[in-house]
Amino acid sequence: MIQICLNCLLLSALLLLISIGLNIIYGISRVVNLAHGSLYALGAYFGYSMVSYGVNFYAALLLAPLLAGLCGVVLERLIIEPIRHRDMTYTLILTYGLSVFIDGMFKFIWSDKVQFIQMPSSLRGTLNLFGVHYPNYRLFVLAATVCVILGLLALLEKTKLGMIMRAASTIPEMVSALGVNMKLVHMGVFGLGCVLAGIGGVIAGPLLSVYPMMGSEMLLSCFVVLVIGGLGSLRGAILASLLVGTAQTLGFVFLTDFAMVIVYLMMAVILLFMPKGLLAEGKFD
Amino acid sequence: MEKAIGNKKDRKGLVIQALVLLALVLLPFVLGNKFYLRLVTEIIIYGLLAMSLDVLLGFTGLLSFMHAAYMGIGAYTVAVFLSYVDPGASIWVTFPLGIAVTVVLAFAAGWLQVRTGGFAFALLTVAFGMMYYTLVWKARSITCGDDGLCGLPKPDISLGPIVLGNMNDSLTAYFFTLAVVAVCFFVTRRIMHSPFGAVLESIRENTERASFIGINVRNYKLMGWMLACTLAGISGVLFTYMKGSVSPTLMDARAGGIVLMMTLLGGMGTLWGAFIGAAAYIFLQDFISAMTENWMVFLGLAVILLTLFMPKGLADLPIRLGQRLTRQRSNL
Repeated sequence: MIQICLNCLLLSALLLLISIGLNIIYGISRVVNLAHGSLYALGAYFGYSMVSYGVNFYAALLLAPLLAGLCGVVLERLIIEPIRHRDMTYTLILTYGLSVFIDGMFKFIWSDKVQFIQMPSSLRGTLNLFGVHYPNYRLFVLAATVCVILGLLALLEKTKLGMIMRAASTIPEMVSALGVNMKLVHMGVFGLGCVLAGIGGVIAGPLLSVYPMMGSEMLLSCFVVLVIGGLGSLRGAILASLLVGTAQTLGFVFLTDFAMVIVYLMMAVILLFMPKGLLAEGKFD
Repeated sequence: MEKAIGNKKDRKGLVIQALVLLALVLLPFVLGNKFYLRLVTEIIIYGLLAMSLDVLLGFTGLLSFMHAAYMGIGAYTVAVFLSYVDPGASIWVTFPLGIAVTVVLAFAAGWLQVRTGGFAFALLTVAFGMMYYTLVWKARSITCGDDGLCGLPKPDISLGPIVLGNMNDSLTAYFFTLAVVAVCFFVTRRIMHSPFGAVLESIRENTERASFIGINVRNYKLMGWMLACTLAGISGVLFTYMKGSVSPTLMDARAGGIVLMMTLLGGMGTLWGAFIGAAAYIFLQDFISAMTENWMVFLGLAVILLTLFMPKGLADLPIRLGQRLTRQRSNL
């Protein structure tokens, strides 16, 4: 029982880490990034390469997401910025093409073998929790997610940078008129989102396998989280990832094959009856 | 005056399209290679699918991520019928059946979807499309899951008692597909040039204004959606007839993205552009995958470059060329 609860939390944590980046990017720049799953996979592959070349796991957990974020910033500047003024359909198809490109590059550089990131030896073994043995690494994932999310909230709520981002998510024109370079904000936000996806990738590496399509497969669940929580709502995303993570885990235990149908049904119901998400904080343009 | 010009241009377009059709009829006599004939048949089927998405996206302004799901429903209906109910069923039974099942399922999703618009609509197509996909994929006892249904009997093409040929023969398959798709194309073209098509376009341009002048937007959106899904279902039925096998990859999220790519590569709002897009995509895939294993890299790159530099798609090229020619002629 405790084990199932913890597994629910674990999946929720992973979903939250990846979808929160998607959420921030949509909330502030109104870009729906279909390549987000691929950037999550990019983080995982960077982490895999570093760890297999003998870099310490914790160092890789820090460096690989930063590299993924850097790639994100470059991609934003090169291909998303030029079509910002166009219809949303074009951004969708462009980021979709980008995800196909990146997934293809994984095959080209790392081959399409299924790989694992080596777990650090200090996190192997299990911990006795109320009579249940639970792997240390999974507990580490939960703790790390909580730290990352708290850090992100502190950044958004307590710093000047966060203030600019929050303001840009509601009235970008006014922020721009006050002398803030919105192009830089968009670039920074995209990079931040990619860093978060990258952290998710490295952390998921030892648990789930690393393979070229891992990101695209994760992306759909992240979209469900994004929709249920409300587009651009951080508090909603936390709630929604708990809900989706729980539904998915319980579904796989009790319904096995048709678990995902429940998840998509939830998404449809939310879209039809509460298009602004569970907390009615979403921003639909 | 403006209408007269439109009609004249319209007639010119019709003549060109009829000439292209004639060329396609003559193609098998020029093209000796059976492999390429199969490829062209596949292009025509996918062209129909991309065109059906164009009805939705280019004319009504509604985005569907999972349009391939409705092709899959048509394809699976025929496949399941052929393998469990009657392997020798005539196309006069399986064809309407495939369309009917697609229509029913598309109506269930569409009736709810049209209550929203824009991005919410697009996300709902994902929710319903993935639901249908998961149901088909996981109903292993009927659809054989990942393996799909293979080795289905290929039906005879018959007109009443007269048998014209079997789908096993690539020439028959080609002509049958071409005939069905040509009928679909010209009927859709006529519909899109009718007042009904104009209403759909007004919804695309400005939904609020359209409803202010008394158009029942929901009903028209639903009709546009049903037309698009019916055409997708037809393409699915044709697919099963030609390939004799179906697998869940036919209707997964990636397939949905591919259809969207074909429509955008070809150029939206032209109908015929979709066929160019499908041809470009399938040739590119075939051509690059023959040379290198990493065709996805090039495909992704092509999509990125096309969206950046040629947002109106490949169909824009002949249009621009035509404009330049007329301008030159008027200069003389």
